[in-house]
Amino acid sequence: MSGALTVEGVTKVFARTRRTGEVVALDGIDLHVDPGELVCIVGASGCGKSTLLNIAGGLDTATAGAVRVDGERVVGPGPDRGMVFQAYSLYPWKSVADNIAFGLRIARWPAPRRDERVRELLGIMGLTEWAGHRPGQLSGGMRQRVAIARALAPEPDVLLLDEPFGALDAQTKRAMQDFLLQVQSRTATTILMVTHDVAEAVYLSQRVYVFSARPGRVADEVIIPFGPQRGTTVQRDPRFLDLRDEIEDLLHPTRAPV
Amino acid sequence: MAEPAATLRESPAPAGDAVTARPARPPTPSPATGVRGRQQSALGRLRGDIDPKLRTGLSVLGLVLLIGGWQLLAGRSSSTLLPTPLETWNGGVDLYRGGELVGDITASSQRVAIGYGMSLVIGIVLGVLIGSFRSVEALTTSPIGFLRYIPASALGSLFLLWLGIDEAPKIALIVVGTVFYNILMIADVAAGVPRQLVNAAYTLGAGRWRVLRQVVLPHSVPGIIDVARINLAAAWLMLVVSELLAAESGLALRIFSLYRARNVEGMFALLIIFGIIGAVSDIALRALRRRTSSWADA
Repeated sequence: MSGALTVEGVTKVFARTRRTGEVVALDGIDLHVDPGELVCIVGASGCGKSTLLNIAGGLDTATAGAVRVDGERVVGPGPDRGMVFQAYSLYPWKSVADNIAFGLRIARWPAPRRDERVRELLGIMGLTEWAGHRPGQLSGGMRQRVAIARALAPEPDVLLLDEPFGALDAQTKRAMQDFLLQVQSRTATTILMVTHDVAEAVYLSQRVYVFSARPGRVADEVIIPFGPQRGTTVQRDPRFLDLRDEIEDLLHPTRAPV
Repeated sequence: MAEPAATLRESPAPAGDAVTARPARPPTPSPATGVRGRQQSALGRLRGDIDPKLRTGLSVLGLVLLIGGWQLLAGRSSSTLLPTPLETWNGGVDLYRGGELVGDITASSQRVAIGYGMSLVIGIVLGVLIGSFRSVEALTTSPIGFLRYIPASALGSLFLLWLGIDEAPKIALIVVGTVFYNILMIADVAAGVPRQLVNAAYTLGAGRWRVLRQVVLPHSVPGIIDVARINLAAAWLMLVVSELLAAESGLALRIFSLYRARNVEGMFALLIIFGIIGAVSDIALRALRRRTSSWADA
């Protein structure tokens, strides 16, 4: 199985500007995501977690260190690492089906295979009836499903999710989380996801990296002991709340003892 | 987040605080017939929606008011220098019978179409590049900033020397008089393409030319059409300048020759024709925007 993501000593320094001094956004980040694993990064805003994701996606470059996928060094963006952003990344003039097919056309998939792949993804995402609609006609949750389908279409080794459910209401978010677990169990794609929602991280991941801010560092790695089957039983598991509290305390050390 | 607010509300206000010092307002039970809020009429409401029929009615009313006001003004003055709408109509009919009107309209429209078309092509190519690449923007900022302040109308005689007296100098004048507006405004449109859309394309394997063609350009289409609509007026302005320099046919040239003949009705008729051509092209561009860019209005 492929899709091993490793981050080796990644440091990102933003140059001094007129208003700010040199900013160390990421300071020697080491982490890894094993093939087929779902790992979350949580951290307060400003801890550089989105910057790290952009570096892994090849949209930004590291000042030092490297990101590797299956041992190969990431030097730029590519369809082997699908990315999903928080919102507003669909092409509003293209239909749902054409949005999903965008990466397949670039990769020159032959039309019959492409159509079949789009149909398959529409089915997985529950969007079959919406294939011909434009993103503007969809709800926020449906749009993010399209964005995930578009990123998954060219069969990436790794899926990078940058707060993909951050703009959704609580109910839709819950549905999308279960949906993501389902997709992952079906596709076995390696997933690295950034979120600021600790409960979401505990619910979804096999492991959680907790980032501290300014400079962004890995403060801790928390192993989530629940099996692949998640659901309300997990959320009512006393360990779930303990883990959530443990991570919350790591994020806000001053607030810890009550 | 909610915690500090809660503490604030719970903490006792310091003595003598203006808020606590004010006596509590006695509860005044409003009578059952009372209303709350100020009623808003559809017409007077800022950005309110109005009935489509009312909308059409108001548009027609605007036109009627314009013509009515003109009639009133022209009817009251005894001067022959301000013809009434009817006299203008007759003046137009006379011009049509004179046989040169259609040729003039064609000549002028053709100049604007070719010149403005070239200006738009240059504007789209350079504008999209400037809006997309910081390097191109940096390279072109100072030359364009300098060149665009040279009044294009002042270049007319130079173009006559360089390009002769045929169509070329006229078209060149229209291009130069509009191209800088088009470049800069289209650059703004292209720079407004959300970065997420560009990044998403990159992560799906697109190269930069594909991103330009398949992301930046389609996203800019409605904005480019809007720019084309706005700057079209400047193209007609430059047409007038160009035809006054040297021309054998054309609407602006005809206005000048009618002035020599003191044919004010004819001059008015030509002005109205300018207005009609402008309005028709505006409607056409608006229809084009609706057809191509319905996604942008959702």
